[in-house]
Amino acid sequence: MRRWLLRRALQSLVTLAVALVILFLLMHVLPGDPLSRVGEGRPLTLEQMQALRDRYGLDRPLVEQLWSFVVGLVHGDLGVSIEYARPVTGLVFERLPATLLLGGTVLLLNFTVGLWLGVRQAVRKDSPEDRWLTTLSLAGYATPSFWLGLVLAWLVGVHWRLLPPAGMRNPLLDAGGLAAVADVARHLVLPAITLSVVSIAGTMRYQRSAMLEALRFPYILTARAKGLTERQVLWHGWRNALFPVLTLFGLWLPILVSGSVFVESVFAWPGLGSLAAAAVGNRDYPLLMGAAILVAGMVILAGFLTDVAYALLDPRVRYS
Amino acid sequence: MTHWTPRPAASPTPAARRARVIFAGIGLAVSALASPRAVPAQTESARTSFVVATGDEATVPIPTLLEGGSVANRDVADQLFARLGQLGPTLITSGDRAFEPLLARSWTRRDSVTLAFDLDPRATWHDGKPVTAEDVVFTFRRARDPAVSPGLANLLRRIVSVTAEGGRKVVFRYTEPYGEQLYDAVFHVAPLPAHLLASIPAESLAYAAYVQAPVGSGPYRWVRRVPGEFVELAANERFFLGAPAVRRVIFRKAVDGAARLNMLLAGEADATENIPAPPSNVARVSADKNLRVIPVPSPTLGYLLFNQRDSRDRNRPHPTLSDRDVRRAIGLALDRRLMVRAVLGNAGEVPYGPAPTTLWIRYGTPAAAPMNLREARRLLDSRGWTDHDGDGVREREGRPLTLSLIVPTSSPIRLQMAQMAQEQLRAVGVRLVLDQMDFRVYLERRDAGAFDVDFASTSLDPSPSGLGQGWSCQGLTNVARYCDPAVDSLIDAAIRTREGAGPAWHAVLRRIEDDAPAVFMYTLNYMYAVNRRFTNVRIRPESPWLGLREWTVGPQGARRPAGD
Repeated sequence: MRRWLLRRALQSLVTLAVALVILFLLMHVLPGDPLSRVGEGRPLTLEQMQALRDRYGLDRPLVEQLWSFVVGLVHGDLGVSIEYARPVTGLVFERLPATLLLGGTVLLLNFTVGLWLGVRQAVRKDSPEDRWLTTLSLAGYATPSFWLGLVLAWLVGVHWRLLPPAGMRNPLLDAGGLAAVADVARHLVLPAITLSVVSIAGTMRYQRSAMLEALRFPYILTARAKGLTERQVLWHGWRNALFPVLTLFGLWLPILVSGSVFVESVFAWPGLGSLAAAAVGNRDYPLLMGAAILVAGMVILAGFLTDVAYALLDPRVRYS
Repeated sequence: MTHWTPRPAASPTPAARRARVIFAGIGLAVSALASPRAVPAQTESARTSFVVATGDEATVPIPTLLEGGSVANRDVADQLFARLGQLGPTLITSGDRAFEPLLARSWTRRDSVTLAFDLDPRATWHDGKPVTAEDVVFTFRRARDPAVSPGLANLLRRIVSVTAEGGRKVVFRYTEPYGEQLYDAVFHVAPLPAHLLASIPAESLAYAAYVQAPVGSGPYRWVRRVPGEFVELAANERFFLGAPAVRRVIFRKAVDGAARLNMLLAGEADATENIPAPPSNVARVSADKNLRVIPVPSPTLGYLLFNQRDSRDRNRPHPTLSDRDVRRAIGLALDRRLMVRAVLGNAGEVPYGPAPTTLWIRYGTPAAAPMNLREARRLLDSRGWTDHDGDGVREREGRPLTLSLIVPTSSPIRLQMAQMAQEQLRAVGVRLVLDQMDFRVYLERRDAGAFDVDFASTSLDPSPSGLGQGWSCQGLTNVARYCDPAVDSLIDAAIRTREGAGPAWHAVLRRIEDDAPAVFMYTLNYMYAVNRRFTNVRIRPESPWLGLREWTVGPQGARRPAGD
């Protein structure tokens, strides 16, 4: 087991390194000059532009730039953002709490509500409730998040004034403690619902079909024949129906740090997604690489954790 | 194999009952969060606070670090740092008469190249230390250092020296007599506190703790920045011109225009800069009884810029557009008024020459030439461009009159107008090929001169001397390589005119219009929205919230947060 874990961890590190090199190269292949807007308001001479290129190392050979980036990365220094003129590490980490909060809430809703409804549907297959939930889940799955976000922000936030349509907290709220927590929670409701609707619908569909499959196996019949209670039988089946959902969880896990560009934008949620999107638009190479490393790292970590979970939960999966 | 068939719905199991209780709990929690009781009651503090929804975030609101054109940084810096003086309501930048005193209570002209400023003895920094002449000297030393702030150093290139005479008098010396000496001294940079910054090397200022909590001399002091969300300022009780009635200012970030509008309409913000497109949003805001819409002149100018050089070989003139008559014909074939009305509604107008609505020299100029298809056709015919093969596109020596127009996808205004221009030019046999691209790619193409026609948009300072950057032979932003020595001499003459420079600048605009290096498509008024409980509201075109310290707060239209 230990050797398997070590080998799998090493594989993940190699994958991360390859991903970094590819990201770095792709980013520099993109057309567009990161310094093109620096002189917008106050024009610069060619010499001054050259001095800025020297300052950010943009004129050095690509391999040299990559090397200095890797050296910096090893020392925890991701460089300085061209657009914000501030260290990238600080910029990325100050956006992380908001991203984790939204991503974590969506994951939680997705894998509690989604799993519960999926199991419920499977147990009540072909009942009116199953048919209704199927229709609803298909509708949810087909609903574009950007449309849903715009509608919710306007209807709930502006028209009915039930919840704030944008932002993460009320800047005028002087109270701390529970009032501050409740304030953030109020701002979280709409973006979390917007992102969750599609993901819950997907999880429901997966869980329903996996549960139906599991309930058809002979060991369920055996369990019933042994006189186990209905709850015990369902628990038995559900554990086996979790494997496909585990893969889905692995795919969704990176949302914890990647954020969602559109939902963050519509609800002015101060997450990493919008920061990374702005970095792409601005060709802010250091900031873009900082955000990309975090997301790539999370994707690879999620894959690793999913494999480990498989190995731990399913004795048929061998550590070799 | 025997298959078990799931049973139809049965009575709820204990687990299902628990789940129902949990989800009912979640529902109740959401309802509780949406209830009015979840929202703190309207307080006096909230009533005297001003929340403005902005599209960007101030990360380095320090005067000498404002390179790169971040509006958010400038807006915040203008509240934190007082300048020596400020532009008066006429926005006339030439001469000494149109300015209002601020940190400097007065100024005197010693000779044609020397100005002396007397600092107001009541002025202090937010930490209580007095503002001294040494602070001004220190700031301009940094601002004029190309290694620290290259763009600023360019703007201040005509200032030879800044020296202190005692603790309260500062003397500026200039390279030559010119009309905007006072403007250069007061507009571009506000003094910084030397006692806090002199020990920090200029190149490390951006990383110093000072940037995270700047100390200034302005009507508001720094409170906090919540990354990605907002910047909070509080009224400076000791501001030497009187403490502002608006006690707290919050610049709240929402990049998306729809999110800013939602914040405003939901009562989560008191104001927003430039109500986002489409124009129907202005009507939505106007319909809200708590809000008022205020049109404000903008520095934005949109124009079709003709490349004077061949985009494939920059050493050769452009095969089509180096001909002035072709350029003029294109301008005459466009119904600019129609386009402006269709795309910008009442907010836009057609400028005469490169003069946006903030530029004082636009007053007294004639109206832009209207569409004249007959004259456009005549000009093209006279230059040998005729449609021999009847395909609707003119040719000359076998070469069709086809031009590519680069336009960034980030600008809906330019995209719409480009499509209309394409259609209108078709009527005179000019084929315009739209080349839409990502903004950064557009900038790269534009700066490399790789275009026939560029749908450009610029934001100009209130000073007309900035025209030299785009329209003189050696201008730093002259990407089309337009060069008319007559324009250069007219600009030089206008810059040197010390009083009554209007006619000199009009001559510049006239010459540019006649030579048609571009078709000036639109300039516009920004539509700001402000909550009606604020009175004495004056939004300044050069920096919208600069006059905030003079606003007052009334009871009308109190903020109604979500849940109320």
